[in-house]
Parts: sequence; structure tokens; C-alpha cells
Amino acid sequence: MIHLTMENVLIDNHKISPIDLAIKLRGLATIAIIQERLGIDRARAIYLVYKLRKEGFVKTSYERDRMRVYRISPLNALGGISYIDILNKYAPVGLATSEIYEIYGRIPSIEETLVYAITQKNVRYYIACLALFRQVRDWSKLYQLAKEKGIVREVAALYDISRLVVPKVRKMPKRFKNLAAPKKTDKYKSLVKGFSSDSFQEIEKKWKIYIPLNYIDLMDYRGVHT
Amino acid sequence: MITIQEQQLLFVDIGNKLPKKMTAYAIGGTAMMFLGIKDTTLDIDLVFMNDKDRLVFNETAKSLGFREMDSRVVYKTKDNTPEMLKLGEVRFDLFLPKVITSSFSEKMQERAKQIHEFGNLIIKIADVHDLIIMKAVTGREKDDIDIERIIKDSKIDWEILIEESQNQINLGNERALMDIGYTFEKIEKRKEIEIPKNFSDKIWKLFNKQIRDKSKKLK
Repeated sequence: MIHLTMENVLIDNHKISPIDLAIKLRGLATIAIIQERLGIDRARAIYLVYKLRKEGFVKTSYERDRMRVYRISPLNALGGISYIDILNKYAPVGLATSEIYEIYGRIPSIEETLVYAITQKNVRYYIACLALFRQVRDWSKLYQLAKEKGIVREVAALYDISRLVVPKVRKMPKRFKNLAAPKKTDKYKSLVKGFSSDSFQEIEKKWKIYIPLNYIDLMDYRGVHT
Repeated sequence: MITIQEQQLLFVDIGNKLPKKMTAYAIGGTAMMFLGIKDTTLDIDLVFMNDKDRLVFNETAKSLGFREMDSRVVYKTKDNTPEMLKLGEVRFDLFLPKVITSSFSEKMQERAKQIHEFGNLIIKIADVHDLIIMKAVTGREKDDIDIERIIKDSKIDWEILIEESQNQINLGNERALMDIGYTFEKIEKRKEIEIPKNFSDKIWKLFNKQIRDKSKKLK
């Protein structure tokens, strides 16, 4: 049985502070999960989420059917932001990951997030990052960051795909295109080892990059070809 | 005592002032706070991979008002003690990869998956298994309680603990298996948490093998 006071919550006659409750409920949760874990009714579970949110311990996201999913952690109170938060803000299908990379004291730029996503070498990240090209404003910064990581051609190839599947992606400056163009001596690179595309062979040839994506993988984007 | 919010503000201040990007690993109570297992800590324990980075961090913290402190006050005459800095109630213990008796091994670095970026300061959080290993070899009672807390709140892969215990011996901490075996025996006796029987058995078996191998070498 749970009783609520202004500061603490009573669970089975034990007083528990909001931070301890956040530790107890740490991780992904829905109202139903909280009800189950604490053996309480729906109204109480909603009130507990309200209390935890007030302390800054809850981050809320929505499923497709608008169901709320809560990420509960005492660390949420620190107000950090992750690359995943930014990717999920723009991608049509969010990434669910257990990976934690939080940034404090500044908000990472779109260009930085794009480079981060591509360096993860993961198909889910490649799909999610296509939406970011629509938000890119500082192409010279993007080039500089991509060059540091040695992924300029990868950025250009994914940009070409985003132009096909994401509406209203702006034109890439000619300078970026010229600088990114592969030299005759450059060898083919793979975004994911052993995978290439049936749908984007032209782009693969243009940038000498094997792309592990096909149109069918990008159905969540509402572009010209999807 | 420092709370996680105070710690964050401090890291942001230092990270913004650092002249170059550097990575440090959080261990001890600091790591437990980042993992949500504890809400305050006495000191901020960081491990730097090289002396140069530690020096830059040290200088930056000093420029914000921190003062050096003699590590013998806390660590007496132990080996591999940290450089210590203090400001008010906040204390930094800045280690190199050798942390008193244990080593912050390459495997431990690989397992530190949680990352927090504060300007130029990137903090990677030691994995729960490695926190247990490092706490198990200290012999302090408060560390035994922390181990219990970690095991209660996390999913433990006991094989990792066994592998890393052996690894610690290869890295020069010959007492690792004995200390870990002894600590878990004490924890088991308190009956606050359950330790798989085959874990303790394996640790003692490996320790016996270590003794046999050593006596063979001496002969």
C-alpha cells in the first residue's frame, strides 16, 4: 500500500524519498509497469510519475499510438542532453538504446550529431541520421568534423540518399561536393562490412561507398521515393 | 559530501576551463552516483590514463581555487596513491591507472560504456563489475556495504568478476584472488545478498592454483 506525503512516499509503511523511488524505478517504464512493480492503482502510479517529474527524474517519450514511455533516472535531474535525444527529435522512428552519452553545459550541434551517428557504424543510426540533413546549416563545420573522423565520403553518400527520401533537404554547397568527391586512387569503403545496396547503386558508384540500405528500409520517411 | 548536482556543476566549470579535450574514468562513489546507485559521495575519484592529462586537470582545478592536499593524510604509506585536491568539503582523488593495489586494466576501460561530456572533460563511468573488483581488494567495511548495494541494484555477470580477478593478478596484484575471496566470504556471512556458490568456489580454486604454481616456481 502506498501513501503520499509532500516530500516522501510511503511504500509498505517505509518512507522513501523521490530519489530513492527514482533509483527503484530506474529504466524504461510505463504507467502499467509502475503499477505492477509497486502494486498500486493507476491513479497513484500517475501521481508518482508527476512527483518524480517535478524533481527532474523523468524524461517522457511517446510511442506511435501516443502511449507515454518514461525514462526514469536520478541522472535526468542533471539536465544533460545526448546525441540520441537530438536524433530522436528529428528521426521518424526514434532509436531505443541503452547507451549513455550525456553532454552537459552546451547543446551539441546538428552537424556534430550527424558525424556522431555515422561513426557508430550501425544501420539504425544511418537511417535515423538521414532526417538531420534537413537541419544542416553549417556545411563547412560538417566538412571539418567529418574530415577529422575520415568520413567525408560517407556523409556525402548519406546526404544523397536523404535527398531522395526526406522532403525539403537543402542543396549541398558545391564546395563540399567537390572536396568530398573520391579520387581515382580511392578504394571502395563499406558503411557496414559485407553489405551493399540494390536501390542506391548509382550513389555507391558516385562516392565509392557501399551502402547497407534499400528503399524498403526507409519506408518511414515520406519522401519522393518512399 | 557532494551531491550529483554539485558534482555536475563542478565538472562543467572545470571542463569549460580545460585547455584541451581529455578523458578520465570515474570510479568509486563518483561512478556509483552516475550509475544511480548512490546520491552523495565523500570524494570524487578519477583515473587518468597518463600523467600529462592529470597535470593539466590538476592545474585547471587549482586555477579555480582547489588546493593540493597530502595524500598520506588519507592513504598513509600505501603505494599508487592519488594526487589530492581540496576545496571546502569537495575533494578530488586523481589516480593514474594503478589505483592503490588494483590496476584500471584495458578490459576495464573497454567496459566503461557510459559517457558524460562536460566541455573538454569527458568522463567515462567504470562498469559495475570493475567497481566491485576495486572495492573488494581494499578491505574497508564501507566498501563491503557498497558492494552489497551494487549487487542488489545491478545485473551481475559473475564470470566477468572471475576473469577480471585473474587479470588483476597478471597485472601485478598478487593478492587479488585472496582479497576478493575473503571479501565475498564476509559479505556472504552477513546474508544481505546471495552470492552464487560456484563463484566463491571458483575464486578459491583459482587461489589454490595460484599458490601451487608459485610454490612450483620457488622449488
